[in-house]
Amino acid sequence: WKKVLYERQPFPDNYVDQRFLEELRKNVHARQYRYQAVVFQSGAVVQQLCSVCVFALTWWYMDAGMLSPQGLFGAALVSSLLGYVLFDAVDGGAGRWASGRTRWADLKSTLVFTAFTYGFSPVLKTLTESISTDTIYAMSALMLLGHLIFFDYGANAAIVSSTLSLNMAIFASVCLASRLPRALHAFVMVTFAMQIFALWPMLQKKLKARTPRCYVGVTVLFALAALAGLATVSSVGAVLFASLLLAISCLCPYCLIRLQLLKDNIHGPWDEAEIKEDLSRFL
Amino acid sequence: MVLKVFFPSCCSSADSGILIGRWIAEQNSAVILAVVHFPFIPVQVKQYLGEVQRVTKVSVSVLGSWSNSKQEKEESLSEFLEDLGTIFCHEPWIQISKEGDSKFWSCSTLQKHSKNPQEEEIILVYYDQRKVMLSHLHPPLDTAGQRTGDASKLSAIFDTVARSQVLFMTDRYDEGPVKLTHWQSDGVEASIIVELLKQASVPACMLLTLLLSLVSGICRSRVLKFWPLSFLWSKLSTCEQLGHRLQHLQVISSNKKAQNQNQLMRKANIFVSLLIDVALGMLLMSWLYRKNRIGHLADTLIPAADHVAEELQDLLQWLMGAPAGLKMNRALDQVLGRFFLYHIHLWISYIHLLSPFIEMILWYVGLSACLGLTVALCILSDIIALLTFHIYCFYVYGARLYCLKIYGLSSLWRLFRGKKWNVLRQRVDSCSYDLDQLFIGTLLFTILLFLLPTTALYYLVFTLLRLLVVIVQGLIHLLVDLIDSLPLYSLILRLCRSYRLAAGVKFRVLEQQDGKPLRLLMQINPLSYGGVVQTYRLPTYSCYPRDSWASLCKKLFLGELIYPWKHKGDKQN
Repeated sequence: WKKVLYERQPFPDNYVDQRFLEELRKNVHARQYRYQAVVFQSGAVVQQLCSVCVFALTWWYMDAGMLSPQGLFGAALVSSLLGYVLFDAVDGGAGRWASGRTRWADLKSTLVFTAFTYGFSPVLKTLTESISTDTIYAMSALMLLGHLIFFDYGANAAIVSSTLSLNMAIFASVCLASRLPRALHAFVMVTFAMQIFALWPMLQKKLKARTPRCYVGVTVLFALAALAGLATVSSVGAVLFASLLLAISCLCPYCLIRLQLLKDNIHGPWDEAEIKEDLSRFL
Repeated sequence: MVLKVFFPSCCSSADSGILIGRWIAEQNSAVILAVVHFPFIPVQVKQYLGEVQRVTKVSVSVLGSWSNSKQEKEESLSEFLEDLGTIFCHEPWIQISKEGDSKFWSCSTLQKHSKNPQEEEIILVYYDQRKVMLSHLHPPLDTAGQRTGDASKLSAIFDTVARSQVLFMTDRYDEGPVKLTHWQSDGVEASIIVELLKQASVPACMLLTLLLSLVSGICRSRVLKFWPLSFLWSKLSTCEQLGHRLQHLQVISSNKKAQNQNQLMRKANIFVSLLIDVALGMLLMSWLYRKNRIGHLADTLIPAADHVAEELQDLLQWLMGAPAGLKMNRALDQVLGRFFLYHIHLWISYIHLLSPFIEMILWYVGLSACLGLTVALCILSDIIALLTFHIYCFYVYGARLYCLKIYGLSSLWRLFRGKKWNVLRQRVDSCSYDLDQLFIGTLLFTILLFLLPTTALYYLVFTLLRLLVVIVQGLIHLLVDLIDSLPLYSLILRLCRSYRLAAGVKFRVLEQQDGKPLRLLMQINPLSYGGVVQTYRLPTYSCYPRDSWASLCKKLFLGELIYPWKHKGDKQN
């Protein structure tokens, strides 16, 4: 018996041979993870959660009048300048040289951000006057959740869309900023959102690639800062958030590794055909 | 095969003689046109037939013999009639004889040369020669194979009778070499007025043509073709209607003879509709210019316009508050409301500036009713359009703003999802944007999204107002189109002379007895009124776009402008 259909054989078409299961293989693509590596990778999720937390906290302080817009703007400016210097210093300008982006382009982008946000801040202020505050809260919460879902944590999946994630964060920030008492508040809020949602992840990515130790330190510090800030607003929230962070960084990797042992994936000649050869020479 | 003999009912009491008519071989039927009485000289008959054939282009020949014996049957006559068949050789030779007052006619055929002299079944069909001659057969509209075959058979018979009109038009007192019996027209003397009118119409048409060529020459001159003027002409429905009427007059007054029945009917329809239109216009004019009605109209027009403006102001005030409890953006609401209020203010001052001249304008415009009711209606439609110009302006502003928002939102929504519209492939592709593009796009998206309800409400209200005006104008245009396109002459013809427009025929059995030929009476089925309108409807210049409801709704939703007139681009599609 041969496994071909184009020759006439004394067997029916649906005949199954004894050797059929010989080609069965298990867990071909399963990967073995190390606990430390998984914990290190989960840092990205922790960082993003903390970013959202810090943003919400800042808005809370601004709305309550405990944080002046000038102070926040100054702090954000200083940290941005520091980050900008660090961004080039980490890889010695190699990334900038590879992308071919000049400092003039950076300056132009910054000017465009500032000018547009400042120009539109009076409009933003009156934008949602007639809409109820609960609606705004619900919309912002949904948008920030969407930001967390679609964010590019380094996984190669279809759901990941850094554009959509960033846009949702900006939308949420504009919604929240329109609730603040004055136009300047709105302007500072949107600028801060831009820094924490657009610029900060770029720096993180570079730190993670170049100096892993430093990245771990920054993550821990950032998480502690966020927790401390949250504790001043609500202690129950801080405890819950801390347990969430711990669960994501310690419990989830452990579960992943344990569940990996139970993986039972079978492969064999019944699989769909896969094109493995490089097709470029035909095209 | 059954032999059909179509026999004119007016010949049933004619004296004995020979039958002349046309033999239609493919249908195996004979259409008898007339009876030639005894005595005659065969050579003269043949000459006469040749002459008739030359004039009418119908192959008329002697088909058989006819005997109408009041007394007992005469042996010698029947033999003589059989002998006639050898003089006028025709195959088959039909012999019809009527005996006394008997209802049943005997009918037989003689086939000298055929091998099998079998007895053929004969059906005698009576027809009214005058009606069949005058009627115009309309083939059925659905072209099913069987029915069109029947219709073409029928039309051959109708055609034969109609073409031998010359045969019937000879004068009653005109003594020719052969004596005939057929349906006799009253001759030229009977319709002396019609003949006089025919003579008089030739110079009248020539004069009209000269005048029309002058008018159309002026209209076509280059002075009126410059940009703002030509744009204005194309938007005023009065000009379109006048142009349409000018074309009608040109059709009527052209001295070319109508080539077929349809063209003739078209001319007559246009003429009658023009007459009725002008008559109604005159009626309107006589009503308008009595008892200073124009003055009253002018006095009520200005307050009405003022009233509309006031209502609009109230509406805008309502929109500037919290209309229907909707939460709108207050700042934008105020800006839009003030803008529109200022516009109404401008409009009112314009109307008041115009008010002293309104009566004079109306007086002169009213004179145009003598050109026809349709022209007066078109002018009314144009006046409505001019008086509601502010509504149109509001609509355009609202629609433009709304359209901008919709298009902006749809493209920014694509940016929001990280996609873009690929023009080359006509699809949505994914795209990587710069950070500043993303930021500004999302900022604008948020702002547009929150301002959309306010704009949409203004757009909705003004679109409803605009639709009201468009519907009124559309109704007026519908009326104008009705007067323009209704084939009044055909309808009157259908009402009074229903046989003139035939849709088909029906047969009624007169007598049936074994051994005698079946006698049928052919009657004409008139065309239904719907069919008349459908066949002879005059083409109109429809100046309103024929959007389907779905496309209209889509246009309204997207904020594209809707117009009561046709776009230039639409014509090409």
